[in-house]
Amino acid sequence: MKKIYLLTIVLAVLTVISCDKEVALNQELKTLTPSNIDANAGTWKPVLLTSNAQIAVVAPTAVGSDAYKAELQAIKDLQAGLTKAQRSSIDYWSAGGVLRWNEILRGLVARFNLPPAPLANGTYPAPDAENPFGDPNFPFANPPYAARAYSYVTAAQYDAMKAAWYWKYQHNRPAPYNVDAGVQALMTKTDLPAYPSEDAVMSGVSAEVLKLLFPAAVEEITLKAAEQRNAALWSGKATTSDISAGLALGKAVATVFTDRAKGDGMGAAIGSKVLWQQLSDNATSRGETPWISLETPPRPPMLPFFGLRTFNATTPGVKAWMMTNANIVAERPAAPPKTASGEMSDEVAEVKWYSENLTRERLAIIHKWADGAGTYTPPGHWNEIASHYIEDANLSEVRAARAFALLNMAVHDAAVGCWETKYFYFNPRPCQMDPKIKTATGVPNFPAYTSGHSTFSGSAATVLSYLFPGEAQYFNDEASEASMSRLYGAIHYRSDCQMGLDHGKRIAGYTVNFAKTDGAN
Amino acid sequence: MKRTLLLTSALLLLSLGVLRAQTITDGLTMPAKTFCTGFMFQHDQWKNYWEGTLKRDNQNIGTLTTQTLMYYGVYGISKKLNIMASVPYVWTKASMGTLRPMEGVQDLTLSAKYRLMEVKAGPGKFATFVAGAFSTPLTDYSPDFMPLSIGMASTTLSGRVTTNYAMNNGLYINASGAYTSRSNVDLDRPAYYTDGHYYSTNEVKMPNVFDFIVDVGYHKGALQTEVFYTQMNTLGGGDIRRQDMPFVSNKMNASKVGALVMYYLPFPKNLAVRLSGNYTVAGRNVGQTTSLLGGLLYTFYFTKDKE
Repeated sequence: MKKIYLLTIVLAVLTVISCDKEVALNQELKTLTPSNIDANAGTWKPVLLTSNAQIAVVAPTAVGSDAYKAELQAIKDLQAGLTKAQRSSIDYWSAGGVLRWNEILRGLVARFNLPPAPLANGTYPAPDAENPFGDPNFPFANPPYAARAYSYVTAAQYDAMKAAWYWKYQHNRPAPYNVDAGVQALMTKTDLPAYPSEDAVMSGVSAEVLKLLFPAAVEEITLKAAEQRNAALWSGKATTSDISAGLALGKAVATVFTDRAKGDGMGAAIGSKVLWQQLSDNATSRGETPWISLETPPRPPMLPFFGLRTFNATTPGVKAWMMTNANIVAERPAAPPKTASGEMSDEVAEVKWYSENLTRERLAIIHKWADGAGTYTPPGHWNEIASHYIEDANLSEVRAARAFALLNMAVHDAAVGCWETKYFYFNPRPCQMDPKIKTATGVPNFPAYTSGHSTFSGSAATVLSYLFPGEAQYFNDEASEASMSRLYGAIHYRSDCQMGLDHGKRIAGYTVNFAKTDGAN
Repeated sequence: MKRTLLLTSALLLLSLGVLRAQTITDGLTMPAKTFCTGFMFQHDQWKNYWEGTLKRDNQNIGTLTTQTLMYYGVYGISKKLNIMASVPYVWTKASMGTLRPMEGVQDLTLSAKYRLMEVKAGPGKFATFVAGAFSTPLTDYSPDFMPLSIGMASTTLSGRVTTNYAMNNGLYINASGAYTSRSNVDLDRPAYYTDGHYYSTNEVKMPNVFDFIVDVGYHKGALQTEVFYTQMNTLGGGDIRRQDMPFVSNKMNASKVGALVMYYLPFPKNLAVRLSGNYTVAGRNVGQTTSLLGGLLYTFYFTKDKE
């Protein structure tokens, strides 16, 4: 009897200890087999390039040349001795570079999405682009920074893919596995011309843009880019000359985007103590209670001049992709209830009710969408959602790049529009109005009206509904849930959520209008 | 808004560490057909915590307080084999900042302890024990709101070995070590970042835990008193990054010292009072907790052969 008890315990312990608990390190994605290689993508409209032919790619050596034959032989030699690690790299990148870089980018945002820690004197050091490895790291990849980063990387990839397609069909050099039966196809075989290699283009454009946005991650970025090029070579998809031409094209496209990024107004988005005080004074002069930081010690507002247009000569506001300054101002939601009004008291009371009546179901919604510090942010969440639909749709690399670019340009514009609104009104958070309100997630350190989550989600759902119309109901339901999660968590009023959601949808309309005429339909 | 927590899965383990007398870690067993049961109340609080290895405070948490009311029962199937059960109700709250308090029923723990051998040696007796424990959440609480979550939401199994030398004059020394295997947990969100990596899944791998306790004390008649040292090491997991939130799978380590007194009251008969306290002297990704515990335990004898 006693021995049986003992035996049972020992067996139970051994069973659990031996259980496989491993969690996949990388997103589990299927091998990309495009349903259509989009041979005409070289004619689609560029975002920033003047034309898809703007950056010249010289003609390659002929397939029959000795130089090319030597390249083929080199692939065969490599394929004869592939290591397990090399095969695993091929498997990883065979999901498609667009999806993989999006996953890498989400990881970088999560890694750098940490606010500076306070100093002993009660102030906060600012992240310094010239000292990205310091404490705090540069950047603080908060939601507006992240929205901008996702948009630069994906829009640059999209323009680079269109340029690659353009030159592929100018030069029409087939993939090595289509030229020589001795070269194995270790990724899905297609008829897409190989010169310049789209994988190399993508490695170059992604790495160069990412190094500007996340300079402290240079090692990881560079290694991933090199791995992508190697996987293209090892898999029989591209020769060294396909790859070197692709890398050069990718880097050249990146320059067009990084040049824009360096002068897009981001550098002035933090502002200064004097300017922050002016924002507060403006609200006071309108008879409103101005927003204050609810952190201890008080933290400077997050990127107050990311959205505001010409508040001050030194703060132009970060450029949008599809909207002019006039568009941004014209789309700004109407003013929130006056802070002293009865309507505001009602809104505060509703927030308090949610604070005091939290259910497990609502907590799950709050946590599902919290996307706060240390995460990939709400823009990243929508990229993650999009990744599943893009994967399932078997899109070519150029069309997958288009989907992410459209999504992220709209979400960036939503960030600009929402931040413009937040700092134009400078409205207090519910727990500033009533300190008894306790929250089920962190209170973001910026004004309440309108909700960033709602604006991001409204814009993302609108673009994804355009791209995947059969799923529109799902995307809109998710956006509404994300929006309401902020009321449930007691960090936003209902009007912040509703007005933000509508604002995001209107903003996305500008990107959808671009998409309707970009030649991809 | 970053802080730490130790409580939770460790809470039960460590609170059992501080309840002695017929607990999972001690060198005692209940006689056959006796049932010791009661409630214990534990008050834990910390102001400083270790963010990785950096000790700091956080004015958006202030002092984090965790209170636990635990039902506890141990039954002697035989002199050699005891079984135990406990169920805690946990309240957490932060004294500063906006984050809301949480509360709820946490994890059920069932365990069994078996005395493998007992021999006379010198002026006393030497005994060894093996024990196994199983714990699982009784409610669907969220482990994703650290440090205010009431628990880790992981199902665990642990195996423990205890050795004890008790002298005839009442002095004893006891040492106990356990390996705890923890099941993965699911979050309400589809992705997370921890330990230098972004995971595109809601499933979190929970590293296993090793802990040991060494205690020296005196046990004679109605009185038991001792001092102890405990060490808990999480065998894997990442550090809390600079100014980040704590995370369920963090590498939570803690070294604690404490003391215990247990006394069977002259009246009412069979009722014991138990008081103990401990302090975290070193840690990693945990709060520097001061813990106080008080309990009342009553023993029922279902047999005539009383000790």
